[in-house]
Amino acid sequence: MSETTVNEFRPQRADAVTSPISEDWLAVVLGLAIFVLALAALVNVDLIGWVVTTTVWTNLGQALKATSKDFSSLSGAGALVATYVALLVVLSAGAVALKANVKRFALAFTAVFWIAYASWVIGNYANFAAVTPAEQQKFGISWSLKLTNEGGYIFALIAGLIIANFFPRFAEAVREAVRPELYIKVAIVILGGVFAVTAASKLGFASSLLLRGVAAIVEAYLIYWAVVYYVARRWFGFNREWAAPLASGISICGVSAAIAVGGAIRARPVVPVLVSSLVVIFAVVEVLILPFIAQAFLAHQPLVAGAWMGLAVKTDGAAVAAGGITESLILAKNAAEGVNYQTGWILGTATTIKVFIDIFIGIWAFVLGYIWTNHIDVKRDGDKARPSEIWQRFPKFIIGFVITFAVGLFLALGTPADIAKKVPAAIGEANTFRVIFFILTFFSIGVLSNFKTLWQEGFGKLAAVYLLSLFGFVIWVGLLISWIFFGGITPPLAS
Amino acid sequence: MAQTKLQDELNRAQYEPMLPIENKLVGWSLGIGIVLLVALALLNHFVPATF
Repeated sequence: MSETTVNEFRPQRADAVTSPISEDWLAVVLGLAIFVLALAALVNVDLIGWVVTTTVWTNLGQALKATSKDFSSLSGAGALVATYVALLVVLSAGAVALKANVKRFALAFTAVFWIAYASWVIGNYANFAAVTPAEQQKFGISWSLKLTNEGGYIFALIAGLIIANFFPRFAEAVREAVRPELYIKVAIVILGGVFAVTAASKLGFASSLLLRGVAAIVEAYLIYWAVVYYVARRWFGFNREWAAPLASGISICGVSAAIAVGGAIRARPVVPVLVSSLVVIFAVVEVLILPFIAQAFLAHQPLVAGAWMGLAVKTDGAAVAAGGITESLILAKNAAEGVNYQTGWILGTATTIKVFIDIFIGIWAFVLGYIWTNHIDVKRDGDKARPSEIWQRFPKFIIGFVITFAVGLFLALGTPADIAKKVPAAIGEANTFRVIFFILTFFSIGVLSNFKTLWQEGFGKLAAVYLLSLFGFVIWVGLLISWIFFGGITPPLAS
Repeated sequence: MAQTKLQDELNRAQYEPMLPIENKLVGWSLGIGIVLLVALALLNHFVPATF
């Protein structure tokens, strides 16, 4: 039997420790840069309208185009190449900042981008994506999977899974550019502005959504964590060093929480790394299953479904990604029934819930660190948890999300009408980049998910805790809480 | 890079009985969590979210 090694997993890279800038801060810089460039459209300067977008197609030649009409002279292929080159240059600069191997990154990113985007384009094929009978008639097709164009995310994820599980050497070769955490954090920063535009139209609900975020925090930290920790310790016999990161990974936010809590309780680095590898694999399983369950049973409770994804799916990338797929599936099902909800509310709910949970990772890690270093594992050298660790472990990309949300809200509500009316289109261009970072996230999550890992010696016990906690408790309590706080609320209808 | 076997790592982890402070942590977390959730649910009931 082959051996499971730390080297195989590597969910957190060595460069994350030694580089002058963290992935979190890099995500803030990249996300804000895209957001600011998009806002130039408010003064009639279109700087990023060349970014490629995809429409549902039956003729491949008509699938791609530039986002803005200002760049209509640019062909779809030209827009795609321009987008690739721009991302290659910017992300390679990011790789320099992260002290990664730039040449290896550039080559790997080239493969990642083209395979991921090709998967996305395939997912936009009319037989997969067309939703309404009118659309099917328009494309001259008699059937469709009705996945919407965002079903392309699933194609990107499957492409990644195929590479991870059938071409492991290739997966290893492109590993330098397989950075789902970076990609999703950039997307979340941009998403702050996108959600602000959506929320501006219904500010009352947006503010009550924040109140409901508090319930998510209580649930994840005080209910989930306590139960999973108890199960891991009492029922499965894990020691404290394993149980605390495991409970954090399963109940709070996968990779980030496992690593933050592992550091706070002074666990050996290998422990949260191994736990994280498990979290990523189960998150993929959740992404592939839960949105379809939500579509089947929660199509008429769209915001319950969105909140459920934010509460039940672990890791930022998978949770927000699941929110995106859920939105597309539920909107498609309702559209087929003649009900057209506004886009953005289900994804916005899932993201807000997840961001709220993330905010407290640092504080929770400090609380556990304080208990561990003062009452459980007291060291003679005086190594105690310090309040400054709260900031050290705070997920900085949330700052970017808050900034873009605040600026977007101000621009939509606090500026003269002639400027305010341009805001949705301007931020819409940034949103096209958000979609591309989502595609890269889905593909990357797939590439990191080698299911053979589950059959490795020793992994069964970890997986058993995860399976029991996730499918026996976390998912259902998350559904109950989502129902209590979001039941009966539906997004506004599209005008 | 050193290769660390998961099985070895798990074998190295010795059984540790639950300490009173761990029981307190779990108990207080659950207790506070349930109370807060009930309070928030009541708040949600009296201040329902609407569009």
